[in-house]
Amino acid sequence: MIAQLIATARRRADGGADALWRRFERTTVAFEWGRLKSAGTTEEAGTNLRVRHRGRVGVAGTTAVGGNDVGRQHAAPLLDRALASAKLGEELDLEFPAPAPVASLATFFDRAANASLDQLIDTGRSLLDRLARDGCRINVTIERETTATRVANSAGASGEYRATGFGVSADVWRIAGDDVLVVSDAFEGADFPSDDALAALVTSINGRLDHALRVVAPPEGALPVVFTPAGLSALMLPLTQGLSGKAVLQGISPLEAKVGEQLFDARFSLRDDPLRVGRTASRPVDDECVPSRTTCLVERGVVQRFIYDLETAARAKTGSTGNGQRGIFGKPVPGYTNIVLNDVGAQHAAPLPLGGGLLREVKDGLLVDELIGVGQGNVTGGAFSHPVALAYRVERGEITGRVKDAAVAGNAYELWKRVGGFGNDARWSGSRWAPSVLFEGVSVVRR
Amino acid sequence: MIDRLTAALARSRADYTEIRVERTWSTAVTFRGRRLESATASEDQGGFVRALHAGGGWGVASFTSLDRLEAMVARAGELSRAVPVDPPIRLADVSPHQADALLDLDGDVRGVPIAEKKRLLEAYNGAMLGVSDRIVDTLAVYRDEVTEYWYVNSQGTILHELRPDVTLSGTAVARRDGTIEKGLESIGMRRGWRSVQDKAAGFREVAERAVQLLDAPMVKGGTYPVILDPELAGVFIHEAFGHLSEADFVYENPQAREMMTLGRRFGKPVLNVGDNGAAPGLRGTLPFDDEGTPTGDTELIKEGILVGRLHSRETAAAMGERPTGNGRAISFRHQPIVRMTNTYIAAAPGGGSFEDLIRDVKLGVHACGAFGGQTVLENFSFTAAYGRMIRDGQVAELVKDVVLAGNLFQTLDRIDHIGGDFRWNQMGGGCGKAGQFPLPVTEGAPHVRIEEALVGGDVGS
Repeated sequence: MIAQLIATARRRADGGADALWRRFERTTVAFEWGRLKSAGTTEEAGTNLRVRHRGRVGVAGTTAVGGNDVGRQHAAPLLDRALASAKLGEELDLEFPAPAPVASLATFFDRAANASLDQLIDTGRSLLDRLARDGCRINVTIERETTATRVANSAGASGEYRATGFGVSADVWRIAGDDVLVVSDAFEGADFPSDDALAALVTSINGRLDHALRVVAPPEGALPVVFTPAGLSALMLPLTQGLSGKAVLQGISPLEAKVGEQLFDARFSLRDDPLRVGRTASRPVDDECVPSRTTCLVERGVVQRFIYDLETAARAKTGSTGNGQRGIFGKPVPGYTNIVLNDVGAQHAAPLPLGGGLLREVKDGLLVDELIGVGQGNVTGGAFSHPVALAYRVERGEITGRVKDAAVAGNAYELWKRVGGFGNDARWSGSRWAPSVLFEGVSVVRR
Repeated sequence: MIDRLTAALARSRADYTEIRVERTWSTAVTFRGRRLESATASEDQGGFVRALHAGGGWGVASFTSLDRLEAMVARAGELSRAVPVDPPIRLADVSPHQADALLDLDGDVRGVPIAEKKRLLEAYNGAMLGVSDRIVDTLAVYRDEVTEYWYVNSQGTILHELRPDVTLSGTAVARRDGTIEKGLESIGMRRGWRSVQDKAAGFREVAERAVQLLDAPMVKGGTYPVILDPELAGVFIHEAFGHLSEADFVYENPQAREMMTLGRRFGKPVLNVGDNGAAPGLRGTLPFDDEGTPTGDTELIKEGILVGRLHSRETAAAMGERPTGNGRAISFRHQPIVRMTNTYIAAAPGGGSFEDLIRDVKLGVHACGAFGGQTVLENFSFTAAYGRMIRDGQVAELVKDVVLAGNLFQTLDRIDHIGGDFRWNQMGGGCGKAGQFPLPVTEGAPHVRIEEALVGGDVGS
């Protein structure tokens, strides 16, 4: 039992301990280039232990645990390693949280957990059939996961939940001469995908593929550019990095000391929401026994709060926002759950046309769906410059074709100050909920 | 362990079965600024089974509890039977090998106390911090591991290896007012404790450069002759070309196969590219891949012509080519897929020095080091750590924000001079593909000149 591990740790670590035990099982079915190719299963379990001793903090992890919990024979070496780590560790006023009420949240869905291998295969086959087209090759992966998590600490707090996750991803490849085109999309959720969700995936890929078949010359200059929900990553990354308490503590966040200031467009809000039903990043309690709650990061353009785990909160002399994330190895870090941009719009059964209604404002510009190299370079500085992987030219409100050999550049912090418009096509891309967004004056260069 | 694995194999009812078991001891130490962020030791263990029934797809199972070995062998067989595949999967022949390959641990890291590892890293971190009070932040990471590895397959291959890996990395952040610049140092070896001593100079150098970059102008965007230093040239050939030479990209995709037809011209006769999993002492080096195939040197581009590609046993059989020992997995959690090992641009015979390459360049850019690179199919984007302008055949001022973007085919074809100063980049980090990251690989190259390349910097202004 994890409780036993904590009890043992407590006897040897004078400042207490906390631990996470996690077990997961994943089943994967892969279709490669249109053919069913493999089926796989993964079973994994492990424990991460943190101790505080003589004012210093140490961590240790192991997968050498018994089938169902921390095996008794493995607890002692794990604790030894955690104490050795604490011996070198830096002094930290880390306090383990006391028990607190935890929201009830549905994270386990029987339909996903009980889906048979044949159901997974059938889902993939039906997707392949619906995406088939001449001259194209298709990869599809179907994944189902069930996890069990237990967290506990020496202050008496604990948490336990089971969760399911389901992923369906498809990419369609068309190679014509030296032109390689890939259009992909994915469903990710806690439950088995509905027929509507799968239909939306097919429509989304086909729609973007149809528009991509024709290649046109890119425009050039400071232009209006619409970023699709998936294409928005380059503009979101500087914000999410800058809003992490870790970046603030390191002194590399430009948002440090800006809480309460109107920095962005007044129509822009951002929150971290671990309590969304049906999302794989949702959980009732974080990996450090802190109950989950929604954190408002930006409200109507005004910076509100940074995310923290226990350690960064202790250093910043504030409270954890319940964003502690830990794996089996290494120490907990602050991490986002579900990022929600402008909490409006339902999950659409039928996907809306590309651009979410924003294209009609565009005389000559781009619609960007994927960029190359997002995350490289000095992200927190806000400046970005990326070649396009998948983008379309928009002329007089209509998509006229795909552009290649173009790059977009700008500064994310500047661009969020004056947003041209938010689309009505909000959707999940992984764990981010966002609509298409139009920015004016994004620099577009040909090459 | 071997007896236990062969007994489990014997009970498998599949036509082909392989089992890998790994036990990894690792330590990691991290400094951020003057603060020790963490010092941890971990133990990871688990197994992987892959089974193939005639007419079936791959059935795979991975697990952390070795008590489950026999059950997982059976489960992998069931999964293979459950996925009919037509035409059937075939494996290229590899003769069975039995080997006990205990690589030179060069000072076994498992015998070194973690406090000593902390002291080493503290010194290197201190070398960065000591450069200037403009260095406002650092990140220094030491990681080591030793993996004991067992592999058996139903065709008689039995392998037992000890695989060491040790990496060091340093990031120095320099700041003045709103301007932030960084320098990166990275060292990686498939060796042990002795190989990472006396490395402070490299850490000091990147911190000094970060400070110098505060005063450097942005490179002016445009088209230039560009000379890649060996580090960036290595990253370029790995990212932009290497991935396309992995046969799993082409073997079941007729259009991709056509694009990568052997005999196609990819560059000028000066260009020679290969992948060598047997080169001594490098991170991508192992005696066998994770399918039990011996590694070797594979020519990919010879005198500008595409002559080879990288294979697993499955892709080799499908294309009627020889397996090259490139079926690799990052750990027991994953299947082997076609991966690079140590990928290189060969030195040109009589290729000369860096000075020879810039002598007739009126205005050009010397792009050095790599902050990152990404390829999406035939398009790539690389961020150099820094650059220097070349004016009238001479190295001139330091410039920053050197981003190279382009089309692979055009760019390879524009490589017009390759130096003779070949060097392997012994770096940490690793390669990512299909969710498997980081795989230890090495890249190597001499200085390489591209007659014309687009350099982004102040795009749009």
